[in-house]
Amino acid sequence: MSTPIVVVGAGHAGVHTASRLVELGYRGELILIDEEDGLPYERPPLSKDVLAGAESHEPPALRKQDYYEDKGIRRIAGSAVTAVDRSAREICLADGSTIPYHRLILATGSRARTLDVPGAALPGVQVLKTRADGRNLKAMLRPGVRFVIVGAGYIGMEVAAAAVKSGCSATVLEYQDRSMSRVTSEDVSRYFEDLHVAEGVQFAFGSSLERIEGSDRVEGVVTSDGETIPADVVVVGIGVLPNQELAEAAGLDCSDGIVVDEHARTSDPEIYAVGDVTRFTCPREGVSMRLECVQNAMAQADSAARHILGLDAAVAEVPWFWTVQHGVRLQTAGVRSSEDHVVRRGDPADGKFAVLYLRDGRLAALDTINALGDFAAGKKLIAAGARLDPVLAADRAVKLATTRTDDLAISR
Amino acid sequence: MSNNITVIDRAGSPSQVEWEPEQTLMEALRDNDFPLLASCGGTASCATCHVYLEPQVVSGLGERSEDEIELLEEAEGFDAETSRLSCQVAHAQSLDGITVTLAPEE
Repeated sequence: MSTPIVVVGAGHAGVHTASRLVELGYRGELILIDEEDGLPYERPPLSKDVLAGAESHEPPALRKQDYYEDKGIRRIAGSAVTAVDRSAREICLADGSTIPYHRLILATGSRARTLDVPGAALPGVQVLKTRADGRNLKAMLRPGVRFVIVGAGYIGMEVAAAAVKSGCSATVLEYQDRSMSRVTSEDVSRYFEDLHVAEGVQFAFGSSLERIEGSDRVEGVVTSDGETIPADVVVVGIGVLPNQELAEAAGLDCSDGIVVDEHARTSDPEIYAVGDVTRFTCPREGVSMRLECVQNAMAQADSAARHILGLDAAVAEVPWFWTVQHGVRLQTAGVRSSEDHVVRRGDPADGKFAVLYLRDGRLAALDTINALGDFAAGKKLIAAGARLDPVLAADRAVKLATTRTDDLAISR
Repeated sequence: MSNNITVIDRAGSPSQVEWEPEQTLMEALRDNDFPLLASCGGTASCATCHVYLEPQVVSGLGERSEDEIELLEEAEGFDAETSRLSCQVAHAQSLDGITVTLAPEE
């Protein structure tokens, strides 16, 4: 029997790596280690359908139960990896057992960043990252419950929407001057803020949290402005930290993420890392980044599997992200920069518009609001490095793909 | 009861696949190792699970959502009569025996 390939972590990145290895023809031993119990599941629905939906309490499984057995993927669930011994080429589990590896893939993901303020450990303070977090939060969504949400990023905004939909009150504290400022431009932020306000969400911008008050559980929060807001639940949505400790302890290069190359290989050629936990240089823009999205998890999983099997690399999909708030879908393709030239395509008043981000004349990123046609077309234009006519592109009556100014040069 | 369907891959080769009742068509294809990226997990947010079904099957499935149509229209090889996002096709007994053809990769 050959020494196994071992995948540590069973989120999108870990499960997809195992799947891709099998799909691409690997027939040796394959072990998938999951710190959590139960079947590996989808994470995006945790803050969307699972939270906002009346019925479904559980996120969908990434693969059905039989899948792993049918494909010869041995799953070890509810077991933490405590160390990677690179010289012995084995990993150690919490129960003291060891598993040798031929190749190791670290898909340890990220964890929610927590608040470092007095009262942060009180019951009623909640992050949203795992299935267990989802269950806890869902149980708190009862009419009349007062929510304070720290952070107006995707998670905070999605939770606020779910809270008011359930009859709770929701106040969002955000230290920046607008929502989702890290991922989108002002037009889009304002559009979503208006939507939330119309549904009863309150915002406090330029405001951070000083301390959380309460004796046995959360009773209120005190903000940096000195204001006290009564609260039964405090949801902390202030970003994530990469789970790089195993890699760091094993001496792999880490720098706010496990550093990997274009094949998802770490500084040890026998160890790969995939998904949220990684830092890599974006091939399109040449900048070092971490990308917290399903697309990146799947692309790196594919790269790692191909490289391990000696196959040619595939062309990766353009990074993309999405959020749904009050039934309105925002989809982003590419990674914007605050220096990009911003072109608004269509009118927000129509409830259907897009914002284009041009860099040196080419389309680098776009946001679409209920405009999936623009999203699909834009993703291809970004991949092609297409230059757009900014005036034509601003007109939603003109198909986005036809606003290219470099069509002939490319196709001839 | 499972459906038995014929899947024609991008090289034109047919194979028989079981489509289980709790799966969408996308999930059945993905779990049987067909190279569908299905990167949005089945929420009609991308077009990476695009397939062709027979025209009479498509017309029997009812209206496509506005989102699905917008995505499909921009997809490579879109065909108004036969294109569907497989994540939006739920299992139904009446779909036993159908033929599914994978659309070209984006």
